[in-house]
Amino acid sequence: MTGKSRWADSQEDAVAEEQRRKEKEAKKRAKLAQQKLAEERRKQHEQQEQQQGGVRDDLENRPAKRQRLSPAQNTDTAQKTDKAAEAPTKLLKFHAPSLGPCRHVDNFERLNHIEEGSYGWVSRAREIATGEVVALKKLKMDNLNDGFPVTALREIQTLKASKHPNIVDLREVVVGDGDDFSDVFLVMDFLEHDLRTLQEDMAEPFLPSETKTLLLQLASAMEFLHDHWIIHRDLKTSNILMNNRGEIKIADFGMARYFSDPPPPNLTQLVVTLWYRAPELLLGASTYDTAIDMWSVGCIFGELLTKDPLLQGKNEVDQLAKIFALAGIPNDDSWPGFRRLPNARALRLPRLPNPPKSSALIRSKFPILTNAGSALLAALLSLNPASRPTATEMLAHPYFREQPKPKSKAMFPTFPSKAGQEKRRRRATPDAPKRGEKGAFAKGRDAVDLTGLFSGRDAEAAGAGFRLKMV
Amino acid sequence: MASAPPKLIGNPMATVEQLETSASQIDGIPKELEDSIHFAGARLTQLAGILLRLPQDIIAIAIVNYTRFWLGPEGGSLKKYGAKDISIASLYVTAKLSAYPRSPRSVINVYAYFDAHETTFEHHAPNSPNPLDPQTYFVSEGTYQARRLALMRTEALLLRTLGFTTDTALPYALAITYMQTLDAFADHAAGSALTKRVLAHLNSALFSPQKLYLTHQPAALATAAIYLAGHEREMKLAGEDWWEVFDVGREELGFLVFSLNSQNGFAEREVERWAGRKVPLTVLEVEREMGVGVGMGVGMGVGMGV
Repeated sequence: MTGKSRWADSQEDAVAEEQRRKEKEAKKRAKLAQQKLAEERRKQHEQQEQQQGGVRDDLENRPAKRQRLSPAQNTDTAQKTDKAAEAPTKLLKFHAPSLGPCRHVDNFERLNHIEEGSYGWVSRAREIATGEVVALKKLKMDNLNDGFPVTALREIQTLKASKHPNIVDLREVVVGDGDDFSDVFLVMDFLEHDLRTLQEDMAEPFLPSETKTLLLQLASAMEFLHDHWIIHRDLKTSNILMNNRGEIKIADFGMARYFSDPPPPNLTQLVVTLWYRAPELLLGASTYDTAIDMWSVGCIFGELLTKDPLLQGKNEVDQLAKIFALAGIPNDDSWPGFRRLPNARALRLPRLPNPPKSSALIRSKFPILTNAGSALLAALLSLNPASRPTATEMLAHPYFREQPKPKSKAMFPTFPSKAGQEKRRRRATPDAPKRGEKGAFAKGRDAVDLTGLFSGRDAEAAGAGFRLKMV
Repeated sequence: MASAPPKLIGNPMATVEQLETSASQIDGIPKELEDSIHFAGARLTQLAGILLRLPQDIIAIAIVNYTRFWLGPEGGSLKKYGAKDISIASLYVTAKLSAYPRSPRSVINVYAYFDAHETTFEHHAPNSPNPLDPQTYFVSEGTYQARRLALMRTEALLLRTLGFTTDTALPYALAITYMQTLDAFADHAAGSALTKRVLAHLNSALFSPQKLYLTHQPAALATAAIYLAGHEREMKLAGEDWWEVFDVGREELGFLVFSLNSQNGFAEREVERWAGRKVPLTVLEVEREMGVGVGMGVGMGVGMGV
C-alpha cells in the first residue's frame, strides 16, 4: 500500500537493515542459548555416567522427571523466541475502499416509476452490465441558494455510514450529464413493497407473531442508527420497505442527520411526517434526541396492530389533541419541564381530579394486546421523551419473548408487488415537512390558537348518560 | 474537536495506479509544478479556514477533500480547474456538512483577501505596519454573485469527482488516545509539549506531496507522529516495537516518519522557489507559468531536486 517514493528509499533501507540486524542478533542469542544448553546436557550426561556405578538408588530417589523436564522446557522457550523473531507480528489491517468519481446514470436502464418521496423521485431500474434490478432515486434539488442541498448531502453521508441488514443499502451515487445539480441519483436495493401500501391492500393486519418480527427488525435498525449517532427524523410505514422474504429495510434518509451528546442546539422542529411526530416537536422543542425516532416507532407499532395509522391528525393542533387523547394529558410529574417548551404556554390543560393513565388508555384501545405488549407500546408513546425506551431497551423487552414468538422471516407470506408495472394508488397521507416551509407554530404565538383544544372536555367527562368505564 | 462524533475508523485509500500518474501530468504539467500548486492550494485552504474560524478538524477534512480531487487519471486536471476554486469549494462544502456552516459570502470574502496579496508566501498581517488596502480585496455585489454561481458549479463538480465521499476519519483524537495508552502524560508538562509536536506533525502531513492522508490510515499517521515527536523530544515512550500494538508495521512506520520529517525541508524549498512570486492557482496562471516555465525550468531545475 505504501507508495514507493524516492524520499523513502534511504529510510526504508535503514529500517530494513535495522530489522535484519535485529533478527541476526536474536538468532545469535538463540543459538548461544542452545549451545549452552547442549553443553549443560552433555555435562549432566557425563556426570550421570560417572555416578551410574554406585549411586543408582540415589538417582532413582531423585525427582528424575523434573530434572529432565527443565532443560527440555528451556530449549522449548529458546525455540519459541527464535520463531517470534523470524515470523512478523500479525497486524490488523482494514479493508480500504477506493476513491473515484461517480459513474454515469447511463449504466442503468430505467424500467418504471415507483413513487415520489419527500426528497426525490424513485424508479425501478436495471444495471445494464449485470442485469441486477435496483431502485434509482433522483434527488430533488430545491433551495439552491446555498449550493448543493445540505439535506441531500446528509442523506448520502448517513446512508453511506449505515451498513445494516435492515437499512436500505446505498450502493453508489451516479450522475447525469452536465454540470448542473439536477441529475444526482442514488442507487439502492430494490424491495418489492413498502409497509404502508402493503397494509392498504391487506384484508387483515399482520399476525401478532409477524408484528413482532417486523418490530424487532425495526428496533435493530434503530439501535444501529442511534449507536452511530444518526437520527432518522422521518420514520413512517411508507419509508419502511419490505421484500418477499419477510425482511424490512428503512429507507429515505432525506431528513436524517448526525447528532451529538449533548444534542446540538437549534435543530429544526419541522421534521417527521405529522402523524408520526413526537409531542415535544409539536410543542416546539429546539433540542431533541433519538427519542423522537422512538415515538415514531411507537406509532408504527400501533399501525401494525390495526393496519391503520395510529394518530391521523389533520394539522398540528389536531395531532396534539389526538396524542393527548391516546397518551393522556401531561402533568409536571409525568413530564417535568414540558411547560417550558415554546408552544406549551398557550396550552390550557383541563384539570381532571384523577387523570387516566396512558397505559390504561392504550390497553382500552388495543384490547387484544398482552400486558407486556401494551406496556411496550405505552412506554414508546410516553409523552416525556426521557421515559421512552431506547432501541436497545426495546429489543430486550419481554414482549418479544412471550408467546406467540416472533415468526421466522422465511415463513412470512408473500404479496404481489405493487412497485412493478402497475400504477400505484396513493392515499392522501400528509407529506414530510418541506424545507423552509413554516409550521403552524412557526412565527408568532398567535398563529395558532391552542386554547380551544380541550374545550368542552370537562363537561363531557361529567356529562349525562351511562357508559362502561374503561379508563 | 467536540463537534463531530466518531463515525469512522478507516478511510478509502488511493490505489497504486492513482498515485502513479495524475490527470494534470497526462495534460503535460510537470510534477514539480503540480506539487507546488497542490501545496499552495492546501496551505490556502488552511489559512482561509483559520480566518473563517473553523475548527481544525473541519479544515483538515477540507484539505483531504481538496487533495482527493486531484488524485489519479480520473481526478481533476490543473489544465481545466484552478486550485483556488477547488479549495474554496472544498472548504465551503465541508463546513456546510459540519456544525459550523459558513455563508458563501464569508468564504468568498476571505479568498478575495488572500487573492489581493502580491506573493503567495509573504503575508501582510492586518496589524502590520503596511496592511493591505481594503479596497484591493473588496468584493462588490456583482462580483459576489458571479463568484457565488461559480462556487456552486465547482461544488457540484467537486462532489461528483469525489464520488460523494465527503467524510474523513482523522488521526487527531486517535493520537491522544494512543499517547494515553503509552502513558505519555505521566509527566504532565512533558506530555502536553509532546502533544503539541504530535499535532503539528499531523497538521503538516496534510500538505505532504506524498498525499499521506490518502495513502495511510489514521492509526498509522497517529503512531508515526507520536514516534517522531517522541524522538525529537527524546522521550522514552515504551518498550520495543510498541507501534505494533497499534497495528503499524516497522516498514510503514519508517516510511511515515521519514516523510513527516522531510516535510519541513519541502516547505522551505517551496517558499524559496516561489519567493517574491505567486504560485499559479488558476487555469490562466498555470498556462502563463507553463509558457514561462519552458525558459526558466532549465535554470531552476538544479535547485529543485528534492
